[in-house]
Amino acid sequence: MTKKLLMIDDDPDFVAGIKAILDNAGFEVEVAYNPKEGLHALQTKQYDLLLLDIMMGRGAEGIMIARKLRKDVKLREMPVLIITGMREQIAFLFPGEPIHPRFVEVDELVEKPVEPKMLIEKVNSLILTAETKKAGKK
Amino acid sequence: MENKNNSKILIIDDEEVVLDSCTQILKGSSYKLATAANGTEGLNLAKEFQPDLVFVDLKMPGISGFDVLDKIHEIDPTIVTVVITGFATVGSAVDAMKKGAYDFLPKPFTPDEFRLITRRGIERRKLVLETIALRREKEMLREQFASIVSHELKAPLGAVQQNLFVLEYELASMLNNEQKEKLERIKIRIDELIKLINSWLRVISVDIDKLKAGFAPISITAPLSGALESMEPYATRKNIEIVSDIREPLSPILGDSLSLSEVFVNIIGNAIKYSPDGTKITISVEVKENDLLVSIRDSGVGISEEDIPHIFEGFYRAKSGQTMTGQGIGLAVSRQIVDAHSGSITVESELGKGTTFVVSLPLSKA
Ligand SMILES: Nc1ncnc2c1ncn2[C@@H]1O[C@H](COP(=O)(O)OP(=O)(O)O)[C@@H](O)[C@H]1O
Repeated sequence: MTKKLLMIDDDPDFVAGIKAILDNAGFEVEVAYNPKEGLHALQTKQYDLLLLDIMMGRGAEGIMIARKLRKDVKLREMPVLIITGMREQIAFLFPGEPIHPRFVEVDELVEKPVEPKMLIEKVNSLILTAETKKAGKK
Repeated sequence: MENKNNSKILIIDDEEVVLDSCTQILKGSSYKLATAANGTEGLNLAKEFQPDLVFVDLKMPGISGFDVLDKIHEIDPTIVTVVITGFATVGSAVDAMKKGAYDFLPKPFTPDEFRLITRRGIERRKLVLETIALRREKEMLREQFASIVSHELKAPLGAVQQNLFVLEYELASMLNNEQKEKLERIKIRIDELIKLINSWLRVISVDIDKLKAGFAPISITAPLSGALESMEPYATRKNIEIVSDIREPLSPILGDSLSLSEVFVNIIGNAIKYSPDGTKITISVEVKENDLLVSIRDSGVGISEEDIPHIFEGFYRAKSGQTMTGQGIGLAVSRQIVDAHSGSITVESELGKGTTFVVSLPLSKA
């Protein structure tokens, strides 16, 4: 079955660069260009994964979405790939190490720009992890 | 520029003669003057009148001149204070100046003396205000610059690179080798630009004050072993052995574990980077008087004597290390962090033989 993804990011050019890769890899990608639109989509539709930009608008408006997700019993099971242009502002991170922000149960952080291969790998593995977790709970 | 005409002076003294003569002396000048006959009245006035300069008699009935000084500095630390004291009590004037008074006016004084001290006090106040304004401006510029760099420069470059990735990915089967190479070169150049911007951001975003606010007593083991753990893979890749001699328990230091581990990541990372394969890096910790010393010794390319004074300056790279890639930022950031801890970093090196970095941090007094 085709996996449905939602991308929330306010930079249309960057979105185009990500969406093309994911479209090509057979995902169905919907886009919200601001946090409000994104939140609305999350609350009304079902997605297999969320691609979230942390640094939207003036501040880190993406973090607000991540926090809301964490509080929502249903939404917090959805895997999230956080894509950020400014990792130095999120936390100090060791160079070259995998990063786990742990906003929700299954998430990971990557820096803009994202290599196509790595993007597809991360998306697949996050979806798989989330599904395995869910299956284990039942 | 603020007009000198608006400068406000408050005089607090229980002797009416003093208040009167001061008023007389300043009559016709452009200063605004207010007077109070005791400390309580003076303090109330200080809040309302918002003076630039306050004269306080040290010897008054009621609350003492010293207390008045303290309270005024509490109301607004930028207000300039001058104490009025009898000639026999110059000693207490010195005490007052230790507590933040700018100057003293010995009694009895001539009109000229009073005018001179007033003028100096007002000038001082202007300087204090200007310094604060400048500092604030600098801070704002720094923040603005960081946000401009990140949003206006980095974001578009990221979007460009992302779309290049897509082009390369989609055209993979259609491009000939020459075209692929061109694309690769564009990608590399943009990647270098993004890395450069990241380094700038890192330098700008070290906020010493914020760092200090989070200081707590910590053991050096935490940041050091954290750094060792994350650098281990890099050492293994070059077949470099890291020997560390860290014995518990070590006396605590006052600091921030996260930023200190960044310091060790930088220094250990350099030791690995600038050492040939198969060599050894030695890390040791010792207490010397009131300091904790962490030494990181490598047998790498070394740094020449001329280069050593510059390697902490930022964006500087020593001649001996230029075959490796780098931004010349790690040590500059490390030094800022260690400075914030009231510590120091020193280097000893011999070209071709190796380098020892020593991070010295004051032990926590508790
Ligand atoms: N252990 C070392 N051995 C030899 N040279 C070193 C060592 N550590 C630092 N250097 C020199 O100091 C310079 C500044 O270091 P740093 O600020 O970490 O930047 P970078 O390594 O990215 O260039 C380096 O370019 C290198 O020339």
